Amino acid sequence: MIRKFLYEKVYNYNLISMAQVTVEETQKFLPILRVTLGWMFFSAFVRRAINVPAKLNPSSSAYVGGKLITFLPHAWGPIKPMLVSVLQNAGELYAFIIMFTALEAIFGLFMMLGFLTRLSGLVLAGLAWGIGLAAGWLGSTCVDEWQIAAMEGAAAFMFIFTGSRWLSVDYFLAKKWKGIKIGKYYIPLW
Amino acid sequence: MNGKIVTIIAVLMMLFATGVTFGLYQINFQGFTHLTNYSKTPAYSLAGTKLYSNGTLFLQVSRTAGPDTYGGFIVLVQVLYPNGSVFYQWTGQQLGMVPPSNIKNEIPLHPSKAIKIGNYGVGIEVPLGQNSTIILQIPHPVPPGSYIVKVWDADGQSAAYGEKFQITVEVTS
Repeated sequence: MIRKFLYEKVYNYNLISMAQVTVEETQKFLPILRVTLGWMFFSAFVRRAINVPAKLNPSSSAYVGGKLITFLPHAWGPIKPMLVSVLQNAGELYAFIIMFTALEAIFGLFMMLGFLTRLSGLVLAGLAWGIGLAAGWLGSTCVDEWQIAAMEGAAAFMFIFTGSRWLSVDYFLAKKWKGIKIGKYYIPLW
Repeated sequence: MNGKIVTIIAVLMMLFATGVTFGLYQINFQGFTHLTNYSKTPAYSLAGTKLYSNGTLFLQVSRTAGPDTYGGFIVLVQVLYPNGSVFYQWTGQQLGMVPPSNIKNEIPLHPSKAIKIGNYGVGIEVPLGQNSTIILQIPHPVPPGSYIVKVWDADGQSAAYGEKFQITVEVTS
């Protein structure tokens, strides 16, 4: 009975009244993964924008755009022609690098803060798995890029369904704001 | 949502994420069939190479494997008779002196380039993923027939991952 009651409480959001946000024991341990996961993406932005700004300078030899060339030889078939066309157009390449870096910055930070965690999980899973299709074959030590893509992708994907729960911005927002309503479904915030 | 639907979604999503992980493993490394890590050692493809009877060689080199942060270095280019004996060759000393105008890169970033230290030619560096046309000149005409064009990496290898760094070309009169 108690179990059933808890299920209804957690999953039937129509029944949850405001400020009735419960934290189960397991949920308190989700931030262990969440903050590290967010940092993996946010730190990419920090490296390019703050530590080594030359990485975003197309005329520098450190330009990240050059990294995409190394993806080419064994990139997944359907992705390869897109990579080639982007690489042959400097403007497109720059736009792609800036957009990718911005997504990593914004949703990496959101994931660390636990803000719009489900949406951040979706975006980060897309970024991680997308890179896995292009650069996943790289890694001279131990199939590195595939490990990164698969682990970060699966971890980010998990947070789409768990939300951030405890120790997050969403936790506080959820006390006032239930979530996003699409048709008859609620996408709960936390 | 009730508990049953949640259970179904949880199982489906677990299968999906696992599928992506396994799929990427197979796509990137053929991990479930013939495991290959292409980052271990440099490899080159010479597809598109042309040799003309006036002695001009358009060496089409793409670097298809090896570490991403360090070049592959071609230190010997050979034009061989079909029986394997040398018709003509360029050593690292000569390759390191090839002028930039004779190396055309498909992609402007990370270009292939001749490497020399003072008067000592080392070879031609080809970054991973780059596809370059290197124009070399044999100082005499080439009789019509079949030839093998072959390159050697600085590690002393002319093959990797079961593929030889060579191609057969036809010279017509």
